[in-house]
Amino acid sequence: MARILIPTPLRQFAEKNDSVELTGTTVGEVLGALTSRFPDLKKHLYNDEGKLRSFVNVYLNDEDIRYIGKEASPVKEADTLSIVPSIAGGAHRG
Amino acid sequence: MVHIDRGPWREMVNHAQAAYPNECCGAMIGTIDGDNKTVSYALALDNVSAGSQRARYELRPEDLLRADKVARERKLDLIGIYHSHPDCGAYFSETDLKNSCPWYSFVVLSIQNGRFDHANSWLPNAEQTQAEKEELIWPES
Repeated sequence: MARILIPTPLRQFAEKNDSVELTGTTVGEVLGALTSRFPDLKKHLYNDEGKLRSFVNVYLNDEDIRYIGKEASPVKEADTLSIVPSIAGGAHRG
Repeated sequence: MVHIDRGPWREMVNHAQAAYPNECCGAMIGTIDGDNKTVSYALALDNVSAGSQRARYELRPEDLLRADKVARERKLDLIGIYHSHPDCGAYFSETDLKNSCPWYSFVVLSIQNGRFDHANSWLPNAEQTQAEKEELIWPES
């Protein structure tokens, strides 16, 4: 079972768990298992087209999945997945 | 409500003033009890925005991952992100709204002529169409 870490603000949609153990052979399967178990998480992670929201990054251990196979990245038993948002901004009004 | 303890508040203000006239950014770590958030630890992070940083900031996701690890190791929570607005108000700009993540509290520090002036905390909605101001308490507020 892979472990997935839940960011603090999303724990309210995951029965207050800070991490959960889920089965899956790829990142996509583990994320699917996560949103099946906690359906309220889905809208926070995915857009209406079923794709990860633009600011949502997923790390497999310390690797950004965009650089190692995206959601098809294989997952092993001892792996840890992290959900990490992209954040930027600034005073510029445009 | 976001309450910032004296130690992290001093670090946030010092960071923002040292970065002036550029924007700074960092993570706020502490405890959450319902709607009450207490920041007990501030972690300064790099502003990696390309080009001028006078009105822009960007965090490396890897740094945010590190901040989350620090929080977990201390049995604390990643509460939100702070950044500075040099020579303008602590509003939540269109740029902030479009590029934020609607999960965290965002504290904006207004730095005027290199010195701290005022601050606000903002909560973007899930659609990132507007941000609601939340009560912010710091030691000298």
